Amino acid sequence: MRHVRPAEIAIVDLNVCDRCGLCLPLCPPAAIHLALTELEVDRDTCTGCRKCIAPCPVGALSMVPNA
Amino acid sequence: MPDVDVLVVGAGPAGAVAALEAKRSAPQLDVLLLERDRAVGAPVRCAEGVGNAGLREFADPDGAPWVARKITRVIFVAPDDTEVKVAERDVGWILDRTRFDAYLAADAGAAGVELLVGTEASGMRHDADGRWEVAVRSGGSADTYRAKVVIAADGVEAMVGRWAGLDSRVPARDMESCVQYVVQGIDFDPDAIYLQFGDQIAPGGYAWVFPKAPGIANVGLGMVALKSDGRNARQYLDDWIARRYPRGARTGYTVGGVIAHTTIKKTYTNGVLVAGDAAHMINPLSGGGIVNAMKAGRLAGRTAAAAIREGDTSARRLAAYHQAWMDLLGEDHLKYYRIKQALEELDDDFFNGLARTVNKIPREKRSLGRIFAHALVKHPQLIPVAARYFV
Ligand SMILES: Cc1cc2nc3c(=O)[nH]c(=O)nc-3n(C[C@H](O)[C@H](O)[C@H](O)COP(=O)(O)OP(=O)(O)OC[C@H]3O[C@@H](n4cnc5c(N)ncnc54)[C@H](O)[C@@H]3O)c2cc1C
Ligand code: SF4
Ligand code: SF4
Repeated sequence: MRHVRPAEIAIVDLNVCDRCGLCLPLCPPAAIHLALTELEVDRDTCTGCRKCIAPCPVGALSMVPNA
Repeated sequence: MPDVDVLVVGAGPAGAVAALEAKRSAPQLDVLLLERDRAVGAPVRCAEGVGNAGLREFADPDGAPWVARKITRVIFVAPDDTEVKVAERDVGWILDRTRFDAYLAADAGAAGVELLVGTEASGMRHDADGRWEVAVRSGGSADTYRAKVVIAADGVEAMVGRWAGLDSRVPARDMESCVQYVVQGIDFDPDAIYLQFGDQIAPGGYAWVFPKAPGIANVGLGMVALKSDGRNARQYLDDWIARRYPRGARTGYTVGGVIAHTTIKKTYTNGVLVAGDAAHMINPLSGGGIVNAMKAGRLAGRTAAAAIREGDTSARRLAAYHQAWMDLLGEDHLKYYRIKQALEELDDDFFNGLARTVNKIPREKRSLGRIFAHALVKHPQLIPVAARYFV
């Protein structure tokens, strides 16, 4: 669990995501989960490091303000 | 809580072969194979090419229903479209992985492995006796299985290893972001695979055409996002296809990740073995991982069965698996990874020049070894690459 609240966190656009699983091993705190039906980014675990963003082959991940 | 001897997570080539080999080595063991997808082998996230010799260790491709095409030539395409044809006999095969993966899983089933599709592992923890309890979900139901050995064959996600405390994270520079279409109605040599390099085409990777039938091919690319000019992998591929095959019909589409890295430092811990993509066992130069996954699955399945029979599934006992893999291919991958790093420093002009030089070698003499040797004479810049390869 992170200690400092990041300004931005990652979100996934489920209309674009193909559930390929590529982003999971890139995420240092294991905040991305692929379950039976869809991909989920855990808002409370994401540190906002952006490591998952560019490698997504279809651009399904982006950063949003951590409201 | 149901008890099993071996629980295999993921029914790709690594998991199916691991389950089969565990059951074959010790038929009295209960072996359970879990697959999250609703069908083994689908969706296909692969260009489906395999080398002939490696495939034949596991299955006979002649006349097999899971083969799409026999390949007898490799055509390297330089960034400026100069083609270099390499004559090799029995290069390999293009599989139909929907059928191939199902064939492997059916083989395991026939041997007595229990296979559950549409079923995923969602976490695991140690119980008081040091056995693994694996949480399993399927549709609306949830269950916990206790296993003596868990084989993590969960592919690129590589989460099962992380649950077990192993480091299977991937640095972004070693992740190839891949996209592929099935393209129909295009013109190419149906007996050849094509590989094209280039910073504008697929930075840090390559684009490919792998024939499935005359006029029909898997057309895709893998690239390293850190080297991108801002486009994502799909945009690179759309641009490449628009240039090369503007009239092709795109009848299928897939996305995936290839880990172009070296084997994780530790592929085992108490009661756990990691095999295939999940342990970064892909050839880091070619990006091929199907045969490697089967080879690792075979080692993992046999090691698990032997360890259970001996009543010792400790990390110390399971370390034999890691050693066997490193001797088989893991050490080679360390060398291939160094070549990959050296190639990354060469630019498009270098590859264009090399292609023209190599085309002066008579075609029937153009083996990969000769290309390399020739390149060293004509292109002294390559010597550091060669030197790093042989150290
Ligand atoms: C676009 C692309 C092209 C490629 N082209 C080639 C090629 O031409 N030749 C080649 O040799 N290799 C190729 N590869 C690599 C090849 O696909 C892999 O190396 C190979 O599939 C690895 O096999 P595996 O069994 O380790 O993993 P996978 O085949 O990925 O199987 C893992 C399985 O585990 C399942 N799973 C994951 N998590 C769970 C869970 N928690 N519970 C239950 N099930 C789970 C997944 O659904 C999946 O079915 C390519 C890869 C990509 C992405
Ligand atoms: S990399 Fe992109 S397409 Fe693949 S699972 Fe992650 S968000 Fe989805
Ligand atoms: S931004 Fe970093 S922490 Fe957040 S999901 Fe992406 S990789 Fe994980």
